[in-house]
Amino acid sequence: MLIVAVLVVFTVAIIPTVNNPEPIRRGLDLKGGIRLVMRVNVNEALRLEVDQAMNSLRMQASTQKLPVPVTRRLNDTSFVATPPAGVPTDAYEKIAGDFLPSFEVTRAADGLHFRLKSNIASQLQRDTVDQAVEAIRRRVDALGVTEPIIAPEAADRIVIQLPGVDDPARVKDIIKTTAQLQFRMVEGGSFASAQQAFDAVPANLRGQVDILPTNREDEMGRVTGVEYVAVNKNIPVSGRDLKNARVQKGRVGEPVIGFSLTPEGAPKFGALTGANVGRQLAIVLDNKVVSAPRINSQITNDGVIEGSFTQQQASDLALILRSGALPASLTTLEERTVGPSLGRDSIRQGVLGSVIGFILLVAAILLYYKGAGVNAVLALLLNLIILLGMMAYFKATLTLPGIAGIILTLGMAVDSNVLVFERIREEMREGKTARASIEQGFSRAFATVIDTHLTTIISALFLFQFGTGPIQGFAVTLLIGLGASVFTAFFVSRMIFDIVYKSTDRAKELSI
Amino acid sequence: MQIFKDPNYDFIKYRWHAVIVSLLIIGAGAAMFFTKGINLGVDFAGGASIILKFRDEVPLARLRAEFSDATIQQFGRAQDRSLLIRLPQQKREGDYAGAIVEKLHTDMNPEGAGKHDLNYQGSDKLAGLLQEADPDARGTNPNAELHYKDIARKIIEKRSQLGIFTSMQQATGVEGVSTATVRVLNERTFLGRFNVLNQETVGPQVGSQLQQKAFWAIILSSIAMGAYIWLRFDFVFGVAAIICIIHDVLISMAFLLFLRLEFSLNVVAALLTIVGYSVNDTVVTYDRVRENKRKIKKGMSLAEHLNLAMNQTLSRTILTAGSVFLVLLAMLIFGGEVIRGFSWILTIGVISGTYSTLLIVPAVAVAWDHWSSRNSPPAVPSRIDTPRVDSQARKRKAS
Repeated sequence: MLIVAVLVVFTVAIIPTVNNPEPIRRGLDLKGGIRLVMRVNVNEALRLEVDQAMNSLRMQASTQKLPVPVTRRLNDTSFVATPPAGVPTDAYEKIAGDFLPSFEVTRAADGLHFRLKSNIASQLQRDTVDQAVEAIRRRVDALGVTEPIIAPEAADRIVIQLPGVDDPARVKDIIKTTAQLQFRMVEGGSFASAQQAFDAVPANLRGQVDILPTNREDEMGRVTGVEYVAVNKNIPVSGRDLKNARVQKGRVGEPVIGFSLTPEGAPKFGALTGANVGRQLAIVLDNKVVSAPRINSQITNDGVIEGSFTQQQASDLALILRSGALPASLTTLEERTVGPSLGRDSIRQGVLGSVIGFILLVAAILLYYKGAGVNAVLALLLNLIILLGMMAYFKATLTLPGIAGIILTLGMAVDSNVLVFERIREEMREGKTARASIEQGFSRAFATVIDTHLTTIISALFLFQFGTGPIQGFAVTLLIGLGASVFTAFFVSRMIFDIVYKSTDRAKELSI
Repeated sequence: MQIFKDPNYDFIKYRWHAVIVSLLIIGAGAAMFFTKGINLGVDFAGGASIILKFRDEVPLARLRAEFSDATIQQFGRAQDRSLLIRLPQQKREGDYAGAIVEKLHTDMNPEGAGKHDLNYQGSDKLAGLLQEADPDARGTNPNAELHYKDIARKIIEKRSQLGIFTSMQQATGVEGVSTATVRVLNERTFLGRFNVLNQETVGPQVGSQLQQKAFWAIILSSIAMGAYIWLRFDFVFGVAAIICIIHDVLISMAFLLFLRLEFSLNVVAALLTIVGYSVNDTVVTYDRVRENKRKIKKGMSLAEHLNLAMNQTLSRTILTAGSVFLVLLAMLIFGGEVIRGFSWILTIGVISGTYSTLLIVPAVAVAWDHWSSRNSPPAVPSRIDTPRVDSQARKRKAS
């Protein structure tokens, strides 16, 4: 009864239905798709924290009418603040205590050394990775990828698996774009070279500007080269103030990106545009000026980003802006893209190999064990059904090595039967009856079968621990298969023997 | 049917021959390793691996000239028109394969500037293009988006089936493509010279980490096996099992070197499987030895015990190895290019596992036994040279 129930449950699990057209999840190597391992450059987030601390120290000093110290970053997590000669450091230490609690302050010959506390630094790193995971997840969801895996790994890495994606270059671009959007005032430009742009800025303003690149365009809006714009370092409004972004049609029907602002962002944007009517506002994305429109009147709620976008670029950019910026840039450490055609070939060949292997196996068993062979083959088939059913049930991923793993498991499942059958034959040679031989055969082989399975399970566990992607798939099929094989060898095969040889003691007739 | 009728082979007798054969194979493998080096796959060596399928003739000479530091070889059969390009490790992290493929695409398709490449790009971009052109006049509603996405998906699905489009008719002949759409496709798309079947980049960091992980996985799982057998049986068998595992792994590696196969993650998976498999046979033998020791009170040497147990379990050993071998043979012949290395290593491992169970394990166990009982290395003692398993032992066992 139990066996019939198992059979039914697992058979149902692997039959494709309308709701569940793919009961067994296929890995990237069979379905096609991308696997990426990215490093989140968390030091950028640390540096940003240090920069902000330097800014707020200077700002607090000036609001408290203290001489503004000279600040200089020492490394990713520390900076030095040097007050003018002769000014005591006590007042600055008080500011640090009040406003920069996440920094440790020590006195040194060149002023005060500020160092980001290590627990706060590591918390910040974790947060950065988590934020990056969230931002990537939002982008991937917006792309409509089904069953993506986006997970942090080690201290600063993210593993991304996107099955079924057939346009790797585009998806990688979308994932990797940091999308730091900033609205900053233009101080001069544009110029043919960065040096010219810098020289054109008045000397007293030079410390407050960045020289950023932008596309040079002709009258038709086509990109013809690069030029440089001087923009103010101050960032009054940023991508965080954006509520929504979407593609719209511009004046001549070209694609532009319309955005609307959050309730917090709108007054900031209103103040900025209101105070600077007639000047140019630079829209900066990842340190590149995408457009620098002239402010014609105060804007509070909505705006438009123009640039030489194609339809696709515009909609991708809108998607990225909607899903939020990455807190730090990403570096690709590992990338694997399997095209859908290779996956298709792999499946066809893997399945062909497995089916032929299986047929050979069945033929060999039947030839060698005759009647009892049927028994073993039935156990084997049930093993296969349980294995596939469990995979469907646990949503395990079937990979190409996994297919090989299945067929290998079947080979090993045969081993359980062989151990038992050989034992039964031995018992029979010693002149025992069929029933006694079966009884003895099963009980004596039991310990051996458990031992052989346990050793293989140990190695499968190591495989799982070590493996990535396809190899884990292999380990999973091996583990499930081994469990199923113990079950089928001892319960199923035994039961069939019992049914056939229950009533009579047909010692001579045992076909093995 | 029966393979062996009352087998009575003296495996212990030939143990030194076997040790010499094994050492020769491993030695040849080592020589191979030191002279020619190992063919590390992209997983461990880092760098990039790209598989391209070409529309017409394969520009082998051009690619060889362009990537002088690359290994370029045919992938699959000649009529597949596919190439595998392996590029060595870069110093910097980054999307190496992606950049190379992108550059090749621009260089090899000069006629396609500004056009959409049906052989290279995916369905999302194609859907965007169709929607923008809107040949079926569906407007900008969500249904229009679905309509064009569906067409794009069907076209790319067709490409996946074929591997690559060789004529525009193959793409435009897809069901649901209207004449207006065909016009848009003909105008704004073209068939590029290649389709990317596979591209992989492994940066320096990941590559070296994978190497370490693979090394430790094999070492630790071998030790875990040995420990298990030590606990279940005794120390001598544990040591013999570990040596047997190392033997099988080394033999498989030697053949990997002889066959110039690539050492990849899949091969490591195969090696770990061999670790599990090779112990299997050994466990079966030990189980029998233990059972016999319980039954047969009269003193028999370890060598005699091993011989008896191995003969008793011989048909099982051969049958199981045979059935796994059959399956692997099928995978090797029909399983395709991607898992070829994997299948090879498993096949060799299974053969080596059976051989080492029958000849190497007893050699180690007997040698260890002698060494530990005399506390000096054995000099092939004559007493265990010919331990015949007589029919008396068989009878004793039965009673």
